[in-house]
Amino acid sequence: MAAISQREQLVLHEFSVAYRAALAKQRTPEQSLDTVKDAVRDQYEQEQQTKQTPTVEPESPTKQPEPSEPEP
Amino acid sequence: MDEIIKLVRTYRFADAIDERIRLAEEIFRRIEPDLRLFVYSSVSRDVAEDALQETLAAVAKSLKKFEGDTPKEFWAWCYRIARNKLSDHYRQKAAERTLPMPPEEMLRLIEAAQDTPLSPQTRLDLEYAMKLLTASKPECCDLLWRHFVIGLDYAEIAEEQDLKYDNVRMKIGRCLEEAKSLVA
Repeated sequence: MAAISQREQLVLHEFSVAYRAALAKQRTPEQSLDTVKDAVRDQYEQEQQTKQTPTVEPESPTKQPEPSEPEP
Repeated sequence: MDEIIKLVRTYRFADAIDERIRLAEEIFRRIEPDLRLFVYSSVSRDVAEDALQETLAAVAKSLKKFEGDTPKEFWAWCYRIARNKLSDHYRQKAAERTLPMPPEEMLRLIEAAQDTPLSPQTRLDLEYAMKLLTASKPECCDLLWRHFVIGLDYAEIAEEQDLKYDNVRMKIGRCLEEAKSLVA
């Protein structure tokens, strides 16, 4: 197959290269990069929140006193 | 080590947000064109841009979890995420695979992107390539497109379509021969 269809494989490859280049030139990837940056920020914030979330401690058997209201 | 793997590894250990954004930008400037081609070839054009942005966001969010060592593993991982994102469109589209846009339009797009006019030989080659794809049955067009245009190898197509490696290899060979005979 490879030997018989060598020209076909070559033209399909040539087409692939030209089509990729055309698709890439069609528009700037700025929108894509903005999407990526937003996703990275979201992920980072999630990680920070996970780090900051305190581990749940068992409830104290004695009820804590209510905080007193601040004096005027 | 391949540049993309170096960048992904550095990203994995980056803590500061500015550093992550800088690295992500470098990584996605390299991989966006291939993911764009993959997505635009997989779903209809009216939903392709949204699907692409969803795919990019999913890859970016999971980038720290990638633990492979080779570009091949990295691309397989990216395409797996893309396929998961596209799965609904995918099932619907797989049975009716045709070129993502009419051949004349595709040729115009390619010509418009050239800095110099296409040589007559290049134009003939591109027209011949498009004839091979359009003359094929939908299933063959899909396989030829995935292998020769997107650049997926036999193993990736086999995994994607739940087929055996040799089965894919032989099918692609047969499809190419068939397309050639139909165009001749």
